[in-house]
Parts: sequence; C-alpha cells; structure tokens
Amino acid sequence: MRRRVVISGAGAVSAIGVGIEQFWRGCLEGNAVVAPIPAAWTERATLHSRLWSPLPQIDPEALGIARTERLQLDPFAMLALGAAREALASAGFGLTPVERTRAFTVAGEDAARFGVFMGTGIGGAYTFLHNHAQHLSRSPRYHPFVVSMLMPNACSAVIANKFSLHGPNVTYCIACASGTVSVGNAYRAVRGGELELALAGGAEFLNDEHGHIFRGFDIAGTLVRDCADPETANRPFDEKRSGFLFSQGGAALLVLEELEHALRRGAPILAELAGFAETFDAHSMMSMAPEGAQVERMIRACLADAGLEAAAVGYVNAHGTGTRNNDEIESKVIERVFGRSVPVNSTKSLLGHTIGASGAFEALVTALTLRDGRTHINKNLQTPCCDLNYVRSTEPFHPQAGLSQSFAFGGHNAAVLLRRYNG
Amino acid sequence: MDLNVQQRVIKVVAEVTNLSEREIELTASLAQDLKMDSLQRMTLFIALEDEFQDDAMAPEQVAGLATIRDIVGFIEKKLGQSPPL
Repeated sequence: MRRRVVISGAGAVSAIGVGIEQFWRGCLEGNAVVAPIPAAWTERATLHSRLWSPLPQIDPEALGIARTERLQLDPFAMLALGAAREALASAGFGLTPVERTRAFTVAGEDAARFGVFMGTGIGGAYTFLHNHAQHLSRSPRYHPFVVSMLMPNACSAVIANKFSLHGPNVTYCIACASGTVSVGNAYRAVRGGELELALAGGAEFLNDEHGHIFRGFDIAGTLVRDCADPETANRPFDEKRSGFLFSQGGAALLVLEELEHALRRGAPILAELAGFAETFDAHSMMSMAPEGAQVERMIRACLADAGLEAAAVGYVNAHGTGTRNNDEIESKVIERVFGRSVPVNSTKSLLGHTIGASGAFEALVTALTLRDGRTHINKNLQTPCCDLNYVRSTEPFHPQAGLSQSFAFGGHNAAVLLRRYNG
Repeated sequence: MDLNVQQRVIKVVAEVTNLSEREIELTASLAQDLKMDSLQRMTLFIALEDEFQDDAMAPEQVAGLATIRDIVGFIEKKLGQSPPL
C-alpha cells in the first residue's frame, strides 16, 4: 500500500504577511502591496515598468537569526531560514539547542530521515551584485563569505545546518517552477519511504541596489507596463493585463510528513499531498508553447499519479502571471482538462511574482484553501480573458482536491495535487 | 584601555565562539585559547565591522592580531583616527 503524505506545518515570509496566519488572512482579505520601484533604479536605465511589491522591513532576530548568521547569509537564505523555523514550530516540533553552537536538533526525530528540498530562481544574486559593484569600484571591501552566500543551495543547506538534518538536501533551480518542483520531489521521497519528513518550499530575494534584476525582467517585456494606477496594474486573467508584478521576494515552506508518523505525533494536518508531475515544452527559453500540450500532459499525469479524475478537482491555483501569453494558454488548458466551472485563482494577483518561491506559496494557498473551504479572490479581475470560473469572492466552496501548477523560463511545467484531509 | 571598546569586543567574540563573556580573558589568544579556526576568525572580523560600523577590517589588515587585547588596541587606534561612534 502506498504511503500517504500530509502537510503538517508551514511557514511564510511575504509582502502581505510574515507568518502563515498573517499571510493567509492577507490573502483572504485580498491584500496586495504595490509601490513605485526605488528611484535609484530609474536613474540607470529607461524602464518600462515602474512598480514592484516590496517586502516589509524584516528583522532577522525576529526570524531567529543571530548577527553572526545574518552576516554570512544572503537575504534569500535568511527568508528561507525564518520560514523553516516557523514551519517546524507550527508542525509541533520541539527544538533542542546544541551546546556551544547556534544549531538545534528536532526533538525525537531521526535526523537521517528528515530531508530538505528547496527551490530558488536566482539564489544569492543580491550578494553577487553587491560584491561585484565593490569589485568594480576597486574597494578593498569584499565579503569573505561571498561564495557560500551567493550559491543557490545555501537556502537548503542553511536550514539543515541550523536544525541538524542529515537527510537528502537539495536545491532546485528551475526558475518560476522551483518551488513546485521542490515540494513535488520531497513528496516523492516521503511517499517512497526514503524519508519520514521533509521541509520543502522556495525562497527568493529579487533586490539589488542598482536594479539589475528588475531591468532583466523589464527588458524582456515580462513586467506590468500599464502602471498608471498602481492599485489595479497587476491583473492576471484580465483582458487588460500587461505583464507580471515584480516582487521583492519571500519564502514559503511546508513540512511534509508520512501520515502515520503525523498521526502518532498528533500533528496538525493542513492537507494531503496526492500527486506530482513534470513535463518540458522543448519550445522556447522564454515563452510557453502556444497550444499548451505539455501543460495538459502534465496535469493529466498529475491526476493519474493521484489516482483522481479531473472531475474530483474542485480548485485550481493557476500559475497566472498576468502576461499576455501565459494567462490565455493556461486558461485554455484548464478548460480542456477541467471544464469551465472549476474555481481558478492566481496568488500572483496578490503577491506579484516571487519567481522561485511562487510555487511554494501557491502550494501553501492550495493547502489552506482545502483546509478552510474558501480561498482568495483573483484580484483586479474586471473583464476576464477567458470564460472560466475565476474566483471573485471568498464565499465557502469546500473543494476536496486542488491543483497548483507552475511554468518556468526554459520550458518547465510542474504541478502538485493536494487533497483535503478528512481523516 | 577603553572599557567600552573592550566590553564590546568581548561581546562579539562571545557571539562568534558561543562562549560566555566571562570565559573570555583579555589575554586570550584567538587560535590557542579560543580555538578559533580561519572561518571563525573571518566571522569575528565581519561581526566586529558590524559592531563598530567600520568596514575596514579586511583580512590583510587584521592578519597580525593574535589576542583579544590586540584587537581592542587595533579598534581603539581606529576610533582615535575617526569621529567617536
């Protein structure tokens, strides 16, 4: 009999809330944080987009990060570490300090059967660009830990170092699908019996002093162009959508746990993970294949992995970036597989695009939607681009299963399927 | 010797080594007494830069500092050359 895997804890650091309950309340209230980009960025280039979604001021100590740790971590790894700590606490784990270190062990758990699976799009780009600027200016100041700060795998490594976890430790760099792929592979490892527990999610920090990262997305024509009204500029699935809202980043993590193990601990259960699938377009490095054939194949493979018919899925958390092509192709695939009535929303309509963290945030939203029987609106939707049931209210609707899907530069498609946990 | 500087240096050394401040003697050597390896030593100086808001403690500038007393003297000298923090 196949082992069942549940989500028994979660953590989040986002523009609309730090901590899952604040994050989820922000989602259900339809909150978004949209602001003009830093003035310094506009002095260096002619930019088409002028908006982003900044994070609140983050206090590392409030995330449990000491000065000596802060000074050796890129912000993306700090966000990951803060969300990991919350995820472990919310799953009910006790943390035992390791003497003469800043590390902990997870009380009562076999560290060898506890893995970490993280996703990030660009890792420690902030550190790289900051030190590159120092290097070009011939400053003697160059951070001695620059390599271990900028490497993308810092986000999974720092978590396992902090919590003394010895299971597989992996960071997936799959652009906007990174978070979904990390959750999916952690699910497989727990389902297959390699692990009892895994921390899985994504982290991203898309900020630098001179606006390099923003400019890269801007010149590619992916960001919101119609910035006249910041409140409505970010409008996935709307006829007037003009690109995605650049996010400063964030982190979301889930604790995945084998069901019997979770029940023995009396752990809280948010939802059950039931399926995972990936496909690849082999079409273009930056645009989706126009027919969405590989997206459809991925969804059908995910359903098969979960042993569910499409009709059993009562909610779709879409990739929903707000770019012209993405939303139209995605909507058509959703209609082909699920029909027009399944509720669909885009968490990016609230958060903007957190790139490598987005899939993890969206899996978290899917889990909370199944747990609570309600979800957030698809914000700023006035004239839908397609005839689908985009979510316009937070009224209860009690789906029994939900799909969260992500597509990424390169041509990657990935989805996880979650079930409401009914015991 | 400036007591304030001395206390702040010892506080930072305690953060880096995870020793209590009481365990850190002014005469202690970083390598022999505190058993600091090269990575801990680098961590110490970036933490001291943070503590004193002085970003000129690059490895080559602090290479000869062997004891806590050496570090306190080095920082006092730097502070004497710049406005008080």
